[in-house]
Order: sequence, then C-alpha cells, then structure tokens
Amino acid sequence: MVRTLGWLSAAALALGLVMAFGVAPREVSQGNVQRIMYVHPPLAWVAYLAFGVVAAASIAYLVRRAPGADRLAHASAEVGVLFTGLAIATGSIWGKPTWGTWWTWDARLTSVAILFVMYLGYLLLRGTVEDRERAARYCAVLGIVAALDMPLVHFSVYWWRTLHQPPSLMKPGGFTGSAAILWPLLVNLAAFTVLYAYLVAKRVRLLRAEAEALA
Amino acid sequence: MSFARRALVVAWKDLLVERRSKETLNALIFFALLLLFVFQFALGPDRERLAGVLPGVLWLGFILSGLLALGRTFLVEREHDCWEGLLLAPGDKSAVYLGKLAGNLALMAVVETLVLGLFVVFFDIDLARAFPGLVVVVALATLGLAAVGTLFAAMTAHVRAREVLFPVLLLPVQVPVLLAAVKATEALLAGEPLGAVAHWVKLLAAADVVYLAVGVLTFDAILEG
Amino acid sequence: MPDNWGFVAAAYGLTALVLGLYWRRLVRREKELDHAGEARARTARDAATTVAERSRQPSRSGHPRSEPASRPPLP
Repeated sequence: MVRTLGWLSAAALALGLVMAFGVAPREVSQGNVQRIMYVHPPLAWVAYLAFGVVAAASIAYLVRRAPGADRLAHASAEVGVLFTGLAIATGSIWGKPTWGTWWTWDARLTSVAILFVMYLGYLLLRGTVEDRERAARYCAVLGIVAALDMPLVHFSVYWWRTLHQPPSLMKPGGFTGSAAILWPLLVNLAAFTVLYAYLVAKRVRLLRAEAEALA
Repeated sequence: MSFARRALVVAWKDLLVERRSKETLNALIFFALLLLFVFQFALGPDRERLAGVLPGVLWLGFILSGLLALGRTFLVEREHDCWEGLLLAPGDKSAVYLGKLAGNLALMAVVETLVLGLFVVFFDIDLARAFPGLVVVVALATLGLAAVGTLFAAMTAHVRAREVLFPVLLLPVQVPVLLAAVKATEALLAGEPLGAVAHWVKLLAAADVVYLAVGVLTFDAILEG
Repeated sequence: MPDNWGFVAAAYGLTALVLGLYWRRLVRREKELDHAGEARARTARDAATTVAERSRQPSRSGHPRSEPASRPPLP
C-alpha cells in the first residue's frame, strides 16, 4: 500500500513538473518566475491539510487513546512542518523578484508563518516531554488548541492588514487564468497531496517499528 | 461538593497563599515597573514616536507580565509536592482548571491596573473617554490569555525547559488576541467609540469561548498523570 | 520583466532537496530498524536453539559438542 503511494507520488510529481514547464505558458506580467506558483500554493495547501490531520488525529487520540492516532498526529506534524517551511521559503523566493522584498507582513504569509511556529511548538513539546503517553496527551491538546486557533489567526491577521491599509499585491483568491495555467496547478496540487500521504504513511510505519523496538 | 464549589475552593486557596506570601504579586509589580523603564530606554525620549507605539507597548507589558504570572500557575503544587493532590481531587478536574483560571484572572487584574496606571503617569495619556471601552477590551483579552495560559501551564509544569517552552507554546496561539487587543486599544485611545472596534471585540469574545471550551474539556486529559 | 530562472531553480531545487533528504532519512531509518529487528530475532532464535539442544544432551561436563551445528554462528 505504502509502496503504491510512493510510485504514485513519484509519477504525479513528474507529471506536475513536466506540465509546470512544458504546458504552462510564460506568464505575461511576471515572466517565468510565475512558475514558482506551481509549487508554492500546493505546498501551502498541504501545510494546512497536514495540520487538519494533526487536529483530527489529536481528537481521535483523546477520545479513544489509540496509539495509532497519536502516531498519525506525530507523523503529520513532522511532514507538515517541512511543507510549511517550504511554503514560506518558496513564497519568499517568489516574492523577491516580484515584490522586491524577501518578506512582507501580508495576511497570507503572516498566517503561514504563525502556522509554522505552531508546528514547531508541537514538535518541541513532543521532544521535551519524556513520558511517551504523556507526550501524546499533551500534544493532542496542543494540536486541538492550535487548530481551533487558526481561523481566529486568519481573521485577525487579515483585518490587521487590510483595514485602513491598501490591499496587498498578491490577491488571495480569484483565479482568472486560462486552462494552461489551471491544469499544471491542479496536477501539482494532487501530486503534492499524494506525496504528503506517502511520507506520512512511511513515517507512521517507522514510528510503529520504533515503538515495537523499544517494547 | 458541587463543581462550582470545588472551583472556588481552588481559587480561594491560591489567593490565600498569595495573600500570605505576596511572592508572585510583588515580583510582578516590580517587573511591570522595570518593563516601563526598559521600554522608555529602548524607545527613546521622543514623545511623538512613543505616542504612535503606545498601544503596542502597553500590550507588550501586559503580555510579558502575563507570561510570568501564568507560567507560575502550578508552581506551588510543583514545588511543594502537591501535584498528586490535584490528581486525586474528586470529580471533574475542570473545576481545578476554572479555579486556577479565576485565581490567575484576579492576579492579572491587579497587575494590569497597576501597569495601566503607570502608563498614564509616565506617558501622559488621557484615559477619560477611552476607559469604559478599554476595560472591555482588556478584560476579554486577558480572559483569552489566561484561559490558554492556565491550560499550557499545566502542560509544561513538569517539563525541564518549562520557562522557555511555556512562552513558545503560548505566544503563537495568542496572536489573534494580541492583534485584536492592540488594534482596539489603538482606536480607543485615538478617541473612537467602542462600536468602531466591534469586530475586534467580537473576535476576542469568540476566542474566549473557544479557549474556555477547550480548556474545560481537555484539562482532565492533562491532569491524568 | 526578466525571467529570473535562478529564483525558479532555487524554489524547485530547495523543495526537491528538503523533501528528498527527508524521504531518504525515513528509508534509511527503516532499513536500520529492519536489520536491528532481524538481528534480534536471529539471536533470540539461536539462544533458544542452543538452550534446547543443551537440554537434550546428557553431557554434564559443560563443554559444548564440537559439531558445528551446535555452535552459534559467528555474528
């Protein structure tokens, strides 16, 4: 099962790459730098997906105390922090030639940055609490608090930036592109999601093996 | 013993301990005073610049004092080996949570009143018009801070690096509260009515509901062992 | 607007690098655990065999028989 996921993600990523450079046209206003937008939004999407999985698994753990749920939360947090970091990095790399600056406190970047710090806190808590069962419980609570907090973060950051402020250069929604831009984006979105699933599956398996080795 | 009674017992015990030792309160008051000095030195004597960042500085003061106060929530239990006492408390452990929260709120109220008073004196602020609205904003934001802070304090109580881990966990989660509080305070000090910052107030209220609900529902799980 | 291929390469490259390294770490750690698991299973099996064989032998001298089959294999 895990292997299938692995091959599937490899194939999907390859396809996504080909489409990002072969199918997608050279963007009119930004030039080829826009091609970064075929990895940045997928990475950001997975960052949020992973956090949702952490939250769901955390709730499942608190309710049922199944170690599998805890392993899923742990794995998703680990993979999630990577995707989040990459989302920030790629966004920043795109921003430098486009906006002229590596960083700006616009609503989306700020939200993702806060998400990143929450992930780090989660992993830090995991690493610091010595007793495994306790770590699982504490992290589950943290996961739930942080996940419920994210909508509040979104609103507060958005209002913080857009009220009495001119709107940021990068508009959040509103897709007005052609199919040639849409399809590479969608394929990459799917590809990164499959990759996430594959990495999490592998990590969960590893966690289970590590737990058995210690038993 | 009823739920409410148990919560009150915990709060009363804490306040009694605090009133006798005055340990935390004295340290916090001194800390708040020092913060004011530090802010003044860090920001310089320029009145204009200070006026601009005043709301932010005020809330920095509240948050930093809050971190200190909230981080010590379970210090007494930890240092005097009473943690098991908490674990053995009968019934729903969330009564302990609410009791601790009430104690923290009382403590924060004292510190914040003091800090606000010092700000008015040191930075020459006119609070007359803004005061009622400010009370609402400060109360809601403090409740949010304390609700999560009390929960996380229990989580980090037994961890080695608790002094570092506690702020690291609390601060990102409190970003909405901080943003809302600063923006609302800014508007209120600029003379706007409370209605103008209604969206921020609603956000704070929503945050408080969420934090309290999670705290009450999950405190049992924290206190299991 | 200039094409900034350097930035594009940096973005794609960084993504591939980080995810690739993480994947490799997972694979390596899994192999390590597999080998450790096998080694443990092997030593457990050998210990059981030696004990079982010894219990079947009437020898009281304590010296193991010199037949290769009864000796535990070299690690």
